[in-house]
Amino acid sequence: MNAPRTIAEYLDQLRAALRGADPALIQDALYDAEEHLRAELAEQPGRDEAAMLEHVVGSYGAPEEVADIYRDQEIRVQRAIRPPPPPQRRSVMGRFFGVAADPHTWGALFYMLLALATGIFYFTWVVVGISLSAGFSVLIIGIPFIVLFFGSVRALSLLEGRIVEAMLGVRMPRRPPYPAQQGVPLLKRIGAMFTDARSWTTLLYMLLMLPLGIIYFTISVTLLGVSVGFIGAPFVKFFGGVDVINMNIDGAGYHGPGWPGTIGLCLVGVVLLFTTLHLVRGVARLHGQIAKNLLVSTAVV
Amino acid sequence: MDDVASQLKKFQKELSSGTVSLVLLAVLGQSRQPMYGYQIAKRLEEVGEGVLAGKQSALYPVLRNLEAAGLLASEVEPSVSGPPRRYYRITKPGRESLRQWVTAWTATRDCVDNVLQGGV
Repeated sequence: MNAPRTIAEYLDQLRAALRGADPALIQDALYDAEEHLRAELAEQPGRDEAAMLEHVVGSYGAPEEVADIYRDQEIRVQRAIRPPPPPQRRSVMGRFFGVAADPHTWGALFYMLLALATGIFYFTWVVVGISLSAGFSVLIIGIPFIVLFFGSVRALSLLEGRIVEAMLGVRMPRRPPYPAQQGVPLLKRIGAMFTDARSWTTLLYMLLMLPLGIIYFTISVTLLGVSVGFIGAPFVKFFGGVDVINMNIDGAGYHGPGWPGTIGLCLVGVVLLFTTLHLVRGVARLHGQIAKNLLVSTAVV
Repeated sequence: MDDVASQLKKFQKELSSGTVSLVLLAVLGQSRQPMYGYQIAKRLEEVGEGVLAGKQSALYPVLRNLEAAGLLASEVEPSVSGPPRRYYRITKPGRESLRQWVTAWTATRDCVDNVLQGGV
């Protein structure tokens, strides 16, 4: 590969060298490199970019070397965000019930309950923001407001990334994409905001979070409620002294079941509870993929 | 010959990955003002290349990990001339860790020195 002559070339080479790595890692690595290169450039304003980059390849590292360093580091980061994997259980029973011992299950469950609140918030924020942007666009404050709104959406996207990483264990970026460089005219920078596909996918994600949040919340609360209700059946019958099901419709009534039925109901509840945990895990994995695809700019080389 | 050189490189890399967190924390612990990545890199360049095993790009991920662990805090500030910069400063837990790490490092260093000087 030729020696990079401009910062953009260096970043392209770094992106190419990192091809195949996690998009979140690539975003972080590009942010760091751009910050360092621009600082180096600002340090000695007289020097031209090519000479600076020649020096940087020696001090900061050539794109391939930097890529190797980040890959190495990433192994450690992954180890840090993943709690030690629970011992692999061989038996079917062990695998079925082992899900409760995995901290990510509980993180995922919490995320699904939280999704209702965050979903409503994101949706409201985006809808209000877009409407006000549209309304203000005929006024002098239109453009500044839109810029402010897009900026806030980027910040929210980073925040959501942190939540997703903490709860679902999916690696998300810790740094935003590097802000448009100085020297580019203001209008062009504003234009870049709108042509950046990531801005739009982020908005889409935030709108999607309302229906998704409602679905996640409803599914998990319903299934948890039903399974806990089933599990509690014997206690109701024993301590409450009443049957679990008491129906009386137009004279035709059902009161029961008897003790064998009640115990059976409890067992069904236990199975349902663990099935729910598995379901939560699956949905969490799916949602992690959605978040990664919509919130992290996919590197186009 | 080539093999010896690559073994040395590997050893330097391992040494550096073990000490770079301590060094970064110490640099920020001694600094009166928050510092940004490039500044820290230049400061380390003055004391020698040993710590980072040559490449300054290694320090950014470490800074980020230290921040994630709560030992450092950071904020972005626009600069008058040039790009926006992310300034890092040490936190209270960071200082606490630094104190303990320095003790651990001193113990390790003394121990290694003793062995190397044949004091065992």
